[in-house]
Amino acid sequence: MPAGVALHARPAATFVKTALRFRSQLTVGLDGKVANAKSILAVLALGATGGTVLRLSAEGEDAPAALEALAGCVSGLVE
Amino acid sequence: MNAIAGRKEPPPGVSNLVGIVLVSHSRELARGLADLASQVAGTEVKVEPAGGGPDGKLGTNGDTVREAIARADSGQGVVVLADLGSSILTVRHLLQGKANGHVRLVDAPFVEGAVAAAVMSSAGQSLEDVAKAAEEARGASKF
Repeated sequence: MPAGVALHARPAATFVKTALRFRSQLTVGLDGKVANAKSILAVLALGATGGTVLRLSAEGEDAPAALEALAGCVSGLVE
Repeated sequence: MNAIAGRKEPPPGVSNLVGIVLVSHSRELARGLADLASQVAGTEVKVEPAGGGPDGKLGTNGDTVREAIARADSGQGVVVLADLGSSILTVRHLLQGKANGHVRLVDAPFVEGAVAAAVMSSAGQSLEDVAKAAEEARGASKF
């Protein structure tokens, strides 16, 4: 996560919308918690703050593209 | 395969997304939640408040709900969330005999369901998926 950006409502929605473009099952993990990357409520519940490391995982036909898009989305998040 | 790329593009200025209607006893509650959901999901989703009685006091009003559904409907269906009690009865009464599945009253927590539904709709998902996201909000932990 970029410093100074938390995964709160609007950035989380951007992240989830990116995840919803793909068919693969996508999760995002933080501190032992794992959330469905396609659920805004689950992603918000992670409470991810700036500078933390998120663990993205994907399973499915478009998994590589999904991971690339999500990683790009996270690193490009702005307030 | 990209779900959004597979969608038909709407004509300019027309939203081709599932609409959301928020029915509350309170006009302010419905409006405030519509603002919140729109800010999170983006303004391309139509989130229409339908709060308050005919006299502007606390209550629900079938005409207000009917008009909100009409505004929210872009042809992809409408998901209706209600706060409690007679809000649900008002919506049910309105949909009675017209249940074709195009307008769906969902059993969902009001705030979380509205936000989840709006985000799901903003990504171009189907009525079925938007309704499911709202209903699944019941089991979501906040932290």
